[in-house]
Amino acid sequence: MTNTKTILPTEHCETCPAFTQLEQMGIKVGDFDRVVALAGNPNTGKSTLFNTLTGLKQHTGNWPGKTVTRAEGGFEFNKMRYKLVDLPGTYSLLSASQDEEVARDFILFGQPSCTIVVCDATSLERNLNLVLQVMEITEHVVVAINLMDEAKRKGLEVDARSLSRDLGVPAIAITARTGDGIHTLLGAVADVIEGNIVTKPLRVHGTPEFQKAVNELVPMIEQMAPGIPNARWLAIRLLDGDARVQKALSTGELGDIVSRQQRADVQFSAKMSVEGRQ
Amino acid sequence: MEANEILAKAESLRNDLSTGFRDEIVKSLYTEAENIAKRAVKAATDKKYDLDQKIDRLVTSPYTGLPIMLLLLSFVIWLTVSGANVVSNGIAVVLFGIGDYGRALFDQIGMPWWITGFIWDGVYLSLAWVVSVMLPPMMIFFPAFTFLEDLGYLPRVAFNMDWLFKKTGAHGKQSLTMAMGFGCNAAGVIATRVIDSPRERLIAILTNNFVPCNGRFPTLIMLATVFVAASFPPALTSFIAAGTVVGVVLIGVLFTFLASWILSKTLLKGEASAFTLELPPYRRPNISRILYTSIIDRTIFVLWRAMQTAAPAGAIIWILANIHLGDSNLARMIADWLNPFGLLLGLDGVILLAYIIAIPANEIVVPTMMMVYMGAGMMINGPSGNSAIFDLLVNGNGWTMLTAINLMLFALLHNPCATTILTIYKETKSYKWATLSVVMTLGTAFLVTFLTASFARLMGWA
Amino acid sequence: MNMTVWLALTIVLIAAIFIPRMGFLAIYKTYRATRERELVEDALKHLLDREQHGRQASPESLAGTLNLQRGRITRLIEDMETQGLLESRGTNLHLTTQGERWALHVVRAHRLWERYLTDEARMPLGRIHGESERREHSLTEAQLNDLDAALGHPTRDPHGDPIPTREGTLLKTEGMPLTAWQSEDPVRIVHLEDEPALAFEQILAAGLRLGQTIRILDRNPQRILLTDGETEFRLAPAVAANVSVAPLPESEAAKANAIPLAELTYDQRAEIVVLDEAVQGFTRRRFLDLGLTPGTVVYPELQNFFGDPRAYRVRGTLIALRKDQAAQIWVKPV
Ligand SMILES: Nc1nc2c(ncn2[C@@H]2O[C@H](COP(=O)(O)OP(=O)(O)O)[C@@H](O)[C@H]2O)c(=O)[nH]1
Ligand SMILES: [Mg+2]
Repeated sequence: MTNTKTILPTEHCETCPAFTQLEQMGIKVGDFDRVVALAGNPNTGKSTLFNTLTGLKQHTGNWPGKTVTRAEGGFEFNKMRYKLVDLPGTYSLLSASQDEEVARDFILFGQPSCTIVVCDATSLERNLNLVLQVMEITEHVVVAINLMDEAKRKGLEVDARSLSRDLGVPAIAITARTGDGIHTLLGAVADVIEGNIVTKPLRVHGTPEFQKAVNELVPMIEQMAPGIPNARWLAIRLLDGDARVQKALSTGELGDIVSRQQRADVQFSAKMSVEGRQ
Repeated sequence: MEANEILAKAESLRNDLSTGFRDEIVKSLYTEAENIAKRAVKAATDKKYDLDQKIDRLVTSPYTGLPIMLLLLSFVIWLTVSGANVVSNGIAVVLFGIGDYGRALFDQIGMPWWITGFIWDGVYLSLAWVVSVMLPPMMIFFPAFTFLEDLGYLPRVAFNMDWLFKKTGAHGKQSLTMAMGFGCNAAGVIATRVIDSPRERLIAILTNNFVPCNGRFPTLIMLATVFVAASFPPALTSFIAAGTVVGVVLIGVLFTFLASWILSKTLLKGEASAFTLELPPYRRPNISRILYTSIIDRTIFVLWRAMQTAAPAGAIIWILANIHLGDSNLARMIADWLNPFGLLLGLDGVILLAYIIAIPANEIVVPTMMMVYMGAGMMINGPSGNSAIFDLLVNGNGWTMLTAINLMLFALLHNPCATTILTIYKETKSYKWATLSVVMTLGTAFLVTFLTASFARLMGWA
Repeated sequence: MNMTVWLALTIVLIAAIFIPRMGFLAIYKTYRATRERELVEDALKHLLDREQHGRQASPESLAGTLNLQRGRITRLIEDMETQGLLESRGTNLHLTTQGERWALHVVRAHRLWERYLTDEARMPLGRIHGESERREHSLTEAQLNDLDAALGHPTRDPHGDPIPTREGTLLKTEGMPLTAWQSEDPVRIVHLEDEPALAFEQILAAGLRLGQTIRILDRNPQRILLTDGETEFRLAPAVAANVSVAPLPESEAAKANAIPLAELTYDQRAEIVVLDEAVQGFTRRRFLDLGLTPGTVVYPELQNFFGDPRAYRVRGTLIALRKDQAAQIWVKPV
């Protein structure tokens, strides 16, 4: 972990269309090659990992809700400059409390190059529920199994390879506090972004009746926005009656993400104001 | 394909699905997660939650839960009070010493009196006061508090206290936001985002100020040490002083409940909403990180912010005190003019003037007050030591025990500082609530101090 | 006082009255128009209500409901006829298709507001009807659709009445009045009538709520005695007639021998059977997201000084729930 905390040179990439959306969310991506988001349940050590990677001092605390705003920082790995975004912790992407919306909107509309889902090794079941949901939205996912030291203390053995196999995305065991495993984690992130690792996210199908309804909607969505990466997830959200997704659909915001064109009126950008210190 | 068509299709499909399909989605996600986790995790032993469980039973149990909570609070405050006392005097001696030296130096090189006065008796003196009053308690309080936070104790407090909040129509997570308020009320207001119900979130925002923040703690500690504890044997002073501060904090908690209850019966009518709270496992705090964040990051940050307001405030006071009108000066005249109202509240004009000047940051109340008192010619140097302060206030300016107690109450209850008001506005996006937060707290402060003063006078205590 | 002052005053006064959009006259006109629209909408609701209950509406019944003079009612009916909203046949009034559409719109607005006030604003049940009555007149179709989406497309309002869909279809209200239920078998409360308010308050005060499973213990002309297995409720027959019940559906029957999570004793393990129907919207999702899904094994682990909330071990994590929430999760001890 020696090469991650360098000061970053500046060079703009205003023409990179993938970054326009992020620019609108109040994130300056000009100086960075890649954007990585940190998602996960509350209290899994996202902010700790963020601090370890960026050398910044985002406050951490052992209670759910410590991070309610988004924090950003940068680091460098293998000559690539990464922008890291620390999102508020969420139990799921389904309910619509304010902090969950911040996280959900970012993963969906911000289109980060990769999303690291930070999990607590001592309560995997609960954490994997969120991993499965994030994998519905994007296939650029790396799972970080954090708090391995705690797991050891509690006499738990976690087999990261079994997780990788089952989930279809890399799962790396780390201890954010000491930095153990972080190099491997970043390697996996780079590989996923560069396509050296092709992920095959596991999809949960639900009841046959539900599956049938989803299958009816997916082609319609794909027809409206050809090449959309997460039509299945959108179909599920539409069936669920997710107001935010419905709005994105009828305002054409979704289609625009796909064609990656600049839009002037992204209303939700205002909501995501970046507040540094808390 | 039109967006509207898709929406209509989704709606018709939804109506055909059986009603519990949402539950089914989540259930299938969890079932899958459970299977994957089962394959990946092996328990080497089955002592899993043993230690955690034992601690939890202790800190939440019906018999020991609340006492432990009170003890921990008292311990942190005692540590702060007694520790601060040790360092505070040293820092004061050094800083005021530098002031004397600087003044002498300026005189020597023949600076005009008003430059010397403005810089050393105005700006510098105010800064020296802020640093010597604020730095020591913060240096001890922040690490101690962060330790508990990192350990995972705060959610247990919320667990223990929730029933009371429910009875007042508020949300249990309000204890978490109050805990943040000890550090800084503005941070406490931002932390209310963890409360989902808008009504309960507003209650938490409006009442957060009843928790004394770090800017007000030094005032409380100083008054408790100098006045309340002074008449006790020296061995007991730190305990008495800490006990007094704990008492004030508890009064603040009481007012939080009272205000929450009144709000949820009047302006923010409604019943308590759903409350779910995860109690995370305890984690060994990372001591070096705690020391770093709480001292370098928080203490220096807060202190720097306080100094930024203290410097201009010092300048203003000095100018006011040096515009002479007849026998008196402007600062004195304003203070005299405010005096009748101050006395009505058991305070005095100087205290009110200090509060007006300290609107941007509560931290500078004590420095401002001291400078006005000293500007009246009692003492030129900064007093070092508690007995000197006692002397200045009681013999020089007619303070009584009532003044000290009422000032503590006033410090606890009065309006939020400018930063907090601004944060409230930003979080609620409404002038109405921001204004209410000021009116409500200030009203309470006036009313309570007026009542205690009247009562004390009625009983012939003051 | 000289002329110019008088002149100026007069001009100001005239301006105050006649200025477009802000003058008194304009305000009065808007007020009148709004009031007129509210009247029309209330009349439509009355007609729809009567039709749904298979009863005829007449100018008299309308006058009674709207609390207006006969002359005023006649004018209102004429107006509505010219707008094509209703037809009179003899002394009876009937909704036209257009009138019915509008009526359904208002009903939808009313019930969505009730849902909103309960789920999001968390207003007590006793107050939502009045509040919705005030708000139901102001929304456009598009706004209603937004509200509907934001609430997650609820199908029933907090009293158990169906909410019309955007196409205007209305599910049938199931159930029969409690007074008509003769057997001793447990039944489920499917609807609580909120008018008249006095009766509704008594129902709420008794502690009955939607989705509750109850059994009739005893009845006589003065009162009906009910139990939910724990508490006993007493209702006057006139009040009980405002409570509709339906036989327990198949899956809910399981609930009959399930107990609320809140009643588990310390460290007693149990499996979640189902979340109560009374938990909807945001709270239900939160429960599910935390892993409180049917089939999960949970047990109470911590209790505080007040005995409320308690913390339960759910999928390896401690989750604190208040008593009244834990009472809405049905479990079977294992
Ligand atoms: N033992 C241990 N504790 C950790 C580790 N990572 C984070 N923590 C602690 O876990 C708690 C939650 O961390 P935080 O970064 O605030 O979590 P977040 O809510 O996901 O941002 C804090 O008390 C951290 O000190 C780790 O790798 N090992
Ligand atoms: Mg965090």
